[in-house]
Amino acid sequence: MMYDAVIIGGGPAGMSAATILGDKVKTLIIDENDRLGGQLVKQTHKFFGDHEHYASMRGFEIADKLLKEIQKKPVLISLSSTVIGIYPQNTVAYVKDGQIQKVQYKKLLLATGAMERQLPFVNSDLPGVYGAGAIQTLMNQYGIFPGKRFLIVGSGNIGLILAYQLAQSGVEVKMILEALDKVGGYEVHANKVKRLGIPILTGHTIVRAIGDEKVEGAVIARVDKNNIVKGTEREVVVDTICVAVGLTPLIELAEQSGAKVSYIPELGGYVPLRDERMRTTNKDVFVAGDLSSIEEATTAMMEGKIAAMQMVEDLTGENLEDKIYDDLNSLAIFRSGPKSAKIRTGLEKMGINVPKIDLPKPQRFERYDDSKLHAVIECTEEIPCNSCEYACKFDAIKVGININSVPSFDPAKCTGCALCVTSCPGLAIFMKRSEDKAATLGIPYEFLPLPKMDDKMWGLDREGNYVCDVKVKRVVKNPNKTNIVYVELPSEFADMVRHVKYPSKESPYVCRCEEVTLDEIEKVIDLGVTDFEELKRLTRVTMGPCNGKNCKMVVLGILSKKTGIPISSLSHGTSRPPTKPIEFRAFLKEGEE
Amino acid sequence: MEGRILEHPILNFQRKARVKIFFEGREIEAYEGESVAAALHAAGIRVLRYTPIDGRPAGFFCAVGKCSACLMEIDGIPNVRSCMTKVRDGMQIRRQNKNGDLL
Repeated sequence: MMYDAVIIGGGPAGMSAATILGDKVKTLIIDENDRLGGQLVKQTHKFFGDHEHYASMRGFEIADKLLKEIQKKPVLISLSSTVIGIYPQNTVAYVKDGQIQKVQYKKLLLATGAMERQLPFVNSDLPGVYGAGAIQTLMNQYGIFPGKRFLIVGSGNIGLILAYQLAQSGVEVKMILEALDKVGGYEVHANKVKRLGIPILTGHTIVRAIGDEKVEGAVIARVDKNNIVKGTEREVVVDTICVAVGLTPLIELAEQSGAKVSYIPELGGYVPLRDERMRTTNKDVFVAGDLSSIEEATTAMMEGKIAAMQMVEDLTGENLEDKIYDDLNSLAIFRSGPKSAKIRTGLEKMGINVPKIDLPKPQRFERYDDSKLHAVIECTEEIPCNSCEYACKFDAIKVGININSVPSFDPAKCTGCALCVTSCPGLAIFMKRSEDKAATLGIPYEFLPLPKMDDKMWGLDREGNYVCDVKVKRVVKNPNKTNIVYVELPSEFADMVRHVKYPSKESPYVCRCEEVTLDEIEKVIDLGVTDFEELKRLTRVTMGPCNGKNCKMVVLGILSKKTGIPISSLSHGTSRPPTKPIEFRAFLKEGEE
Repeated sequence: MEGRILEHPILNFQRKARVKIFFEGREIEAYEGESVAAALHAAGIRVLRYTPIDGRPAGFFCAVGKCSACLMEIDGIPNVRSCMTKVRDGMQIRRQNKNGDLL
């Protein structure tokens, strides 16, 4: 069968291309999975970017939207189809239902994506050392807990996003390691994770995994200029180690198609050489997405569209130049910020010039009027996103023509509607009103359980440390699942608290018989109880079957420490029989029932 | 912790029909649409094979069909990528030892 256009890979790049090719030429899209969407289907976070390029939508929602668009067009979709090679005469061979199929193309778009890089350390082949994408697949696609305690290696956007997603599913992330001296990913992604109390250890790496049949822990150490610093090794107890150290483009099919590849580390390693419009050194073969350079899904979608439009021009002669220029321009602007410096260098090596555009500094406004509710924007890094500007209906937020600019915020125009809080993909906008004593803080919240009115919670700072108790005043549920929790707190803490959580229930059991925790004992003492006998009656400590042998001294120690009264001056209660648990039957006279 | 996520702040997991699959002869909980590797992981099984040369335990790495670390013997056929194979009623799954046995 001959097709005008064959697309291999149904991720963001391939799908975007299919939406354009679909109703212009005879198109086939081949994917190995049982649905289109690629890695978008397991992305639960909101995407950065601008409104035209799906900013503020979550990855799996973008996949759904693209799929609906494709389904409206006469595109042939071949799922569960594994391409095994590109052969002479423009032939693609793939296996479907156990049978080899062959198709021919006039134009080919390769959107095969990338795969996760390995990090060789001792025992890195042990079950439980997983790529970041594998963990997302288990957790977000199949709804299966990938483990209980995690160590993440790598603090790029993938590692940071994964840490946040793991926390959302309710498991524990012990720490994120970063070998370099600074966090690799976006600052707002790092902040989302840090305020949950997940530490990011820069200048650290993994030395080995511990375990025989599966991961039971890891040895980590400080690293200095790629060398492990002797004597700094320590063990952490985790059951899953996640490797998030980057991606490698999957170039095999590109090479087989006759496209030249070249080693350009800034773009991810070996990549197919291509022009600005994604055409490789073989005029009939195009590439897009992570195969062409490891970047964002947003750029993959733009590249897919550009490649597809050029393919349509080749095939039909239709003039799409205006639209191509528009998309090339959007892509150039997207890549003009400081975070894309590496990509620009890599593209330059290929002969593609992407200008760096100097961005205007955000406008500073006078002191905020804190007596009315207003937004607080904590987005200080130049990243390609303007969803807050789009969300604000009152012109209070300006990003401007270049979406990499840091937003300027005019508090005088802010009405307190909080639409920006809900839409911000970086969860970097908060609401605040502060008066003499009490302040109200609105915090974006994407966890379960959703807090309830009047509940007491803990206010945490930007590193996840406890600051003060807060009280839930209002919970705004949003259809996009970024809910806003409004809490009341003392005004001196309003600029410190950035996350809330229910008080941790973890407290050691002091009295094993009656199951009383340290926390419960301390609370009763804090209420003013200083007498041991009273403490017994209120908490039942020392009153179980062991008769206080286990915990009496510990309880007296706690009481002494909290009240400052030496143990010798405290009453230690009365020792009553029976001293050991015995059967009631023992008290009966012989023959009695 | 293994098992399945029941409640999630963003996602809504709707499981399809229960299917019967067997790992080393033992029945494992699985649902239509799940990959073999995913269903086994939910049941706490992480070792999917023993490697051909050094006999080391191995599990999946990428879980999306690229790394070939998850090869298992499925319905008598060795070297099947368990992460790309969906569960089917009555499926017999075995850990693969070394290169697997074709006979």
